Amino acid sequence: MAGVVLKSLKKSFGAVEVIKGIDLEVKAGEFCVFVGPSGCGKSTLLRIIAGLEQATAGEIWIDGREVTGAEPSDRGIAMVFQSYALYPHLTVRENIGFGLSLARLPKDQIRARVDAAAAALQLGPLMDRKPKALSGGQRQRVAIGRAIVRDPKVFLFDEPLSNLDAALRAQMRIELTDLHRRLGATMIYVTHDQIEAMTMADKIVVLNAGRIEQVGTPMQLYNHPATPFVAGFIGSPKMNLFTGETARALGCTTYGIRPEHLALSPTAGTWQGKVRHIEHLGADTVIYLDVPSLGELVARVAGEMAADRGDMLWASPMPGREFRFD
Amino acid sequence: MTRNSLSVRQRNTGLIATAAAAVIFITPFLYIFFMAMKTKKEAALFLFSWPREWHFWSNLTEVIMARNYMLLLAYMNSTLITVGAVTLLILFGAMVGYILQRRPSGWNRLIYAGVLVGLMVPPAVVPTIWVLQGLHLFKTLQGMVLIQVAYGLAFSVLLYRSFIATIPRDLDEAAIIDGAKPLQIFVKVILPLLRPVTVTLIVVQSIAIFNDFTNPLYYLPGKENVTVQLTLFNFQSQFQSQFNLLFMNILLVTIPPLIVFVFFNRQIVAGMTAGAVKG
Ligand SMILES: Nc1ncnc2c1ncn2[C@@H]1O[C@H](COP(=O)(O)OP(=O)(O)OP(=O)(O)O)[C@@H](O)[C@H]1O
Ligand SMILES: [Mg+2]
Repeated sequence: MAGVVLKSLKKSFGAVEVIKGIDLEVKAGEFCVFVGPSGCGKSTLLRIIAGLEQATAGEIWIDGREVTGAEPSDRGIAMVFQSYALYPHLTVRENIGFGLSLARLPKDQIRARVDAAAAALQLGPLMDRKPKALSGGQRQRVAIGRAIVRDPKVFLFDEPLSNLDAALRAQMRIELTDLHRRLGATMIYVTHDQIEAMTMADKIVVLNAGRIEQVGTPMQLYNHPATPFVAGFIGSPKMNLFTGETARALGCTTYGIRPEHLALSPTAGTWQGKVRHIEHLGADTVIYLDVPSLGELVARVAGEMAADRGDMLWASPMPGREFRFD
Repeated sequence: MTRNSLSVRQRNTGLIATAAAAVIFITPFLYIFFMAMKTKKEAALFLFSWPREWHFWSNLTEVIMARNYMLLLAYMNSTLITVGAVTLLILFGAMVGYILQRRPSGWNRLIYAGVLVGLMVPPAVVPTIWVLQGLHLFKTLQGMVLIQVAYGLAFSVLLYRSFIATIPRDLDEAAIIDGAKPLQIFVKVILPLLRPVTVTLIVVQSIAIFNDFTNPLYYLPGKENVTVQLTLFNFQSQFQSQFNLLFMNILLVTIPPLIVFVFFNRQIVAGMTAGAVKG
């Protein structure tokens, strides 16, 4: 099994530096997720690992071998694109077998490997269709099949689920996690969806403007965010973050408290605010408070909460759950 | 809107337009057909009338055998030129269009400007003949093929380029990761997707080249180099008064493009609109 190591990787497009020095080690067999806001360079970083983009400086090692200048097909990687990128004129079978037929493998061997990949993804009845005649989820599966059949050391995914609807996305998250467990291969997965990151990752890499903000397991990032950026990015709804005077009064430059770590009470507490908006989600309730001394404060409580817009409520941070960043 | 909801006025307008188009396009053809069947004397009257006697076979054989089977030689020459030129136009048009679309920087920007110039600047005859003579290609079929390629290339490059812009680059990259070399990407992934444009180009260019009169006249003199359109020219001077044969010749020359057109008709329309919905 193969790990991926990036050493002070940089990438510029013309005068614009998009990747500003990345050092990272992805261990063999790990499911590593790159998250970050739009335009932070996630796709670019993935494309550099794939070899579709040349790094301006730095080194890439895959499976203990330096591949910085190697052809994409010699790196032992497979990539699944956001748009699936299936060849429209080829059937599902030909799509999956395309790479093998380029490598001039014997026909029966190609057939066997394509069938094995198709069986793993329940593509059996679709093998002779063209991509046009498939649903989004089926196309996604074919794209994954095309990756599996190459038997790569490292799988690269660029937002593979973003074109699917919510229900299918949830299902595919589980399928991908299953697939990872079954194949035991290294996977690098790009997304801007923090739920995908939290649910699938062994390791999350939070990127911001071409730099790594923090690397860690989902729970490490949730419980010990290193910067306000990470704190605000991981968790939903977003952590309440306060800067300036408010934070200084609380003894730091940035003060953070997660919505689920606020206790609400109608009678007493730390901050009093007026309810501006309530979202009833069934399992829990999200309440937006206007607190004069802080500004907007979002709280999430389990179950139903009997409160109306305009009510006055008290919110108190749970002990040990506050974050103070300097 | 269903078909039934077409109003009476819409239907009548449609019928009138169709009838008018039919008259405009079919009348000349019928005229040619009737003239080609007539005797020499009747044809000289230039009437749009049913032939009094049908002389299909005699006119046909006479036209074909005229000037030592010149028409057959012309068919062969025209076919060679058309097939050769269209093949090269498709091959180079697609390749150049692909490269210009995918790598629009450096030299390619200059080449693209050159292609646009090729579309705008009319060709000059005499310098072209000098060049052909310098290359020893004047009065040869190869030279004529190259001329047709040169004249048509800008158009086919632009058509391919704009169509290729609608093919997502992800496909190229997926093929790269699958291990395809640049030429393999072009041949196995891009080229099959260019079918609609290719069919359009085959029809448009082959009809234009097959029907070309002026360029063979300038660049391909010589009896053994005659092309189909030039056989008309020869006829007119030799059989000044034999209009029945002239029209029979026209009829024979018109048929191949007509067949091509009828055969590919549906795909042409598909090809014309295929590149049109580009975002
Ligand atoms: N070929 C290119 N030429 C110039 N700039 C580019 C190129 N590709 C990407 N960029 C720039 O690099 C930056 C990072 O792009 P990238 O696609 O990696 O972002 P991303 O993190 O994947 O965003 P998203 O979540 O929207 O996909 C962006 O500012 C983008 O404009
Ligand atoms: Mg991206």
